[in-house]
Amino acid sequence: MKATAWARRIFLLLPMAFVTLFLVLPLAFMLVVSFWKRSVINMRPAFVLDNYADFLTGTRLPVLGRSFLISIEATAIGLLIAYPIAYFLARKARPSWTRAVLLLFTVPFLVNYIIRTFAWAYLLGRTGPINTLLMALGLPGGPVDWLLFSQFAVLIGMVSSYMPFMIFPLWMSIAGIDERLIEASWMLGAPPSRTFLGVTLPLSLPGIFAAVIFSFVGCFGESAVPVILGGVGYQLIGNEITSTLDVLNYPLAAAMSSVVTVAMLALLCLWYLAFDLRSFLGKILSWRMAP
Amino acid sequence: MSRPSMARGWIWAGIALVVALLYLPLIPPLLFSLVPENANEGSTTLRWYGEMWKNPLLTGAMVTSLEAGIIVAVVTPILSLVAATAIRELRVPRLVLLLMLLPLFVPGVSMGLATALFFRVLGIAPSLTTISLVQILWALPFATLVVLTAMSTFDPVYLEAAYMSGADRWRAFRDIELPLIRPGISGAATFSLILSFNETIRTSIVQGPLNTVQTYIWSTYKEVGLSPTLYALMTLLIALTVGLVGIYLVRGMRRA
Amino acid sequence: MQLNTELTRRDALKVALATGTAATLPLWAYPAAAAGNINFADIGVGDPGGDWSRYTQSSSYGVNLVSIGNAPSAILNVLVAGGGTGTYDVINIVGGMQKPLVDNNLIEELDTSKMPNWAKDKNISEFLAPGAPGFQFIGYEGKIYGCPTVLQGDSFAYLPEKTGELDSYAALFDPKFKGYVALEDNYTTAGQKTALYLKASGQADIKNPDDMTADEFKKVIDFLIDQKKAGQFRVIWSSFQQAVDLIVNKEVYVIDCWEPMVFVAKSKGVNAVYADPKEGYLLWAMAAYIVKNPKRSPEQEAAAYQLLDFMLGGWYGAKITTMRGYMTNTDAPDYAKAHPNEFSADDAAKVTSITENVRRKFAKGGTWQNRWPTVVNIYESEWSRFKSA
Repeated sequence: MKATAWARRIFLLLPMAFVTLFLVLPLAFMLVVSFWKRSVINMRPAFVLDNYADFLTGTRLPVLGRSFLISIEATAIGLLIAYPIAYFLARKARPSWTRAVLLLFTVPFLVNYIIRTFAWAYLLGRTGPINTLLMALGLPGGPVDWLLFSQFAVLIGMVSSYMPFMIFPLWMSIAGIDERLIEASWMLGAPPSRTFLGVTLPLSLPGIFAAVIFSFVGCFGESAVPVILGGVGYQLIGNEITSTLDVLNYPLAAAMSSVVTVAMLALLCLWYLAFDLRSFLGKILSWRMAP
Repeated sequence: MSRPSMARGWIWAGIALVVALLYLPLIPPLLFSLVPENANEGSTTLRWYGEMWKNPLLTGAMVTSLEAGIIVAVVTPILSLVAATAIRELRVPRLVLLLMLLPLFVPGVSMGLATALFFRVLGIAPSLTTISLVQILWALPFATLVVLTAMSTFDPVYLEAAYMSGADRWRAFRDIELPLIRPGISGAATFSLILSFNETIRTSIVQGPLNTVQTYIWSTYKEVGLSPTLYALMTLLIALTVGLVGIYLVRGMRRA
Repeated sequence: MQLNTELTRRDALKVALATGTAATLPLWAYPAAAAGNINFADIGVGDPGGDWSRYTQSSSYGVNLVSIGNAPSAILNVLVAGGGTGTYDVINIVGGMQKPLVDNNLIEELDTSKMPNWAKDKNISEFLAPGAPGFQFIGYEGKIYGCPTVLQGDSFAYLPEKTGELDSYAALFDPKFKGYVALEDNYTTAGQKTALYLKASGQADIKNPDDMTADEFKKVIDFLIDQKKAGQFRVIWSSFQQAVDLIVNKEVYVIDCWEPMVFVAKSKGVNAVYADPKEGYLLWAMAAYIVKNPKRSPEQEAAAYQLLDFMLGGWYGAKITTMRGYMTNTDAPDYAKAHPNEFSADDAAKVTSITENVRRKFAKGGTWQNRWPTVVNIYESEWSRFKSA
């Protein structure tokens, strides 16, 4: 191989080296610590499964289940809202409008997430504007309690935080679909629904993949929304890890983090198995014929 | 009105509703930014919009947030572009993608802690560098996926054509590919900036002698309450960006 | 020099920011910093609005304040993992953290003779001296590590129009207010207050609410879980702002919280009362610790001590009391009264009334917040059980 080809290869390895250095190595250390033994204030090297047993048998495990469930729900709702919007913007709207709308979706995120989430608490409260409006409209039975400090409030907080992140990749992959494929399907007499299911949807898989990851992982790691909108001790796994760190229980925190990371990696591997990577990165993967 | 254009109207109404819901939580900060300190000082005041420049903690935090935001928004898209190219060209696309997504899979506080400990091992003192590094690490998966999505719609036939007409790799990239995936790169930059502007958990561990707007908000929110100046700052930020988007929109429509 | 280039670069950006908005920065936004800066990590309560000019005049050092969280995890993450030991000189947090901080070699023992104001402060000699129960906020194994910056006695707040007069923690668990009660998400405040109530009302046999055994704390949690399942609590709050809004918006009528939240609510025109419970108060103090750093120069070390002494002084104390609503030192009321050009008559009266009121609470007693009880692990895991129940 020529020297320039080698240089190029090394250049391409840079991002991987970056992640390996600053994340993979620290994570390896975290994995080691998760097997350590905790003493009163410190920890000492050992190989025990106590921390995993503690996590997987105690009251903390349901929190993990709840984190998965709420993330799936918020992602599903987000996808149902984001996909039609992205589809419309990509196929039906004028480009100048599309860009403006996409920008409008990003602007609210310049406001700090705590202040945004906190604003929801105000809006949804028993004496907040929404309840005041409902009562003015003559809703019987006093203010609606379940608007705030409930599963509903957490879902509102999460969907409004992560749904807009989904629109952009969806829009990009739908906009990138070759118009001729859709026209061909149409000319062959397929009804719009068949064209959508047979052509558009599969070809927008890369965008769906990115969108689902953004939302699912974002919700899963969310620690402000459950605390501000969740009510009586609504915890997600991030809050639980912080709580164990409060008493310097590093081995348990490391064990919990390791379980989460491994579970996420397992999900990604399942995705790898279920879908050929080529089906959504198709074109760019098949292309290796450069000089 | 014809049926398609009516359907179109309904869809625009739906989009407007979703946008309205997203902007709804921006209204309370706007209102709170106008409320005077004491109930007996009248109903509204613009005092906080002047006051926020007089708090050295807040102005210092703004500078740091801006610096970190710019660094993250510039470096991350470049790194992610290289990463996406690596996924395309190296023979282990799954492994590269997995590595790039890894920062997403680790709970925030654990990632912050693990990375911070590693900075100590390497002897990197907490500074703007460490703040930027953890934020780049956090934004990288988002940026990579956005760039990948853009690339996935790009037809390599164009590149082949460029090679056949004698362009070298760099020329082909610069003249053919880059313009076509530009929305992906600007999207990656926007995502990175937004993520940097919202990152607290990882940043707070390595902030060292600096405050960012985010860590400052988090700390005061927890222990002493949000000052109206923070609502003023957020409102100003939104007013400025909405203004910019508005100008952009008007210019785009004039051109069209 | 590293420090100077850093300053000029930031100043240039600041000027750009300021001129860009046609606003001007007051002079003290630029620390005069002839000699250097003290890096001061603080949870927000210790910030006198950015004005350190009086300290700079006497020490020729500036103060670079870094806002951090007060959770033990936030503090230890920043010090242990974040390299804070090499960065921060002084860290000002809620006291009682000596055990984890000393055992991990993160803070210095204090030489009180280097702080002339130490001996003058009656709060220290009466409430926090070795032998007093409050010593746990600043001392560990007989040695002094923390310089007390703020003292307070907590109970709960209520809206008298909705509840009538209340004088017992029983209100937090009274079925009359079902669904209109909020607790703090903190086992050393809400947990200890509940224990104080259960002990005083004879519902549980708890020897010492300040430092419960595993079994005792489990009883407290079992009680709280029963209450939670019955729908007693609307929310478990975890931030100052959240609690203020719960009161101001009348989302709840009885709330386990801190007194300054009531001051803020009152300033918004809400008639809220901070209760004077018959069981007593949850007493606590904030402490400023000098972070252990063998590389710190003797001059820097001396300036750190000067900062602690400054914080025990009248101006700083009065300023923090007016701004944050907590008692500071006993020099504060006199200083505020004697300097009408610096503190208005209203502010001086506020400092006096807050100081007298908190001193009364300390004299009355109750339970002393213990941030690091013997079985702190059990506290944490049991509290987690309560939250996920």
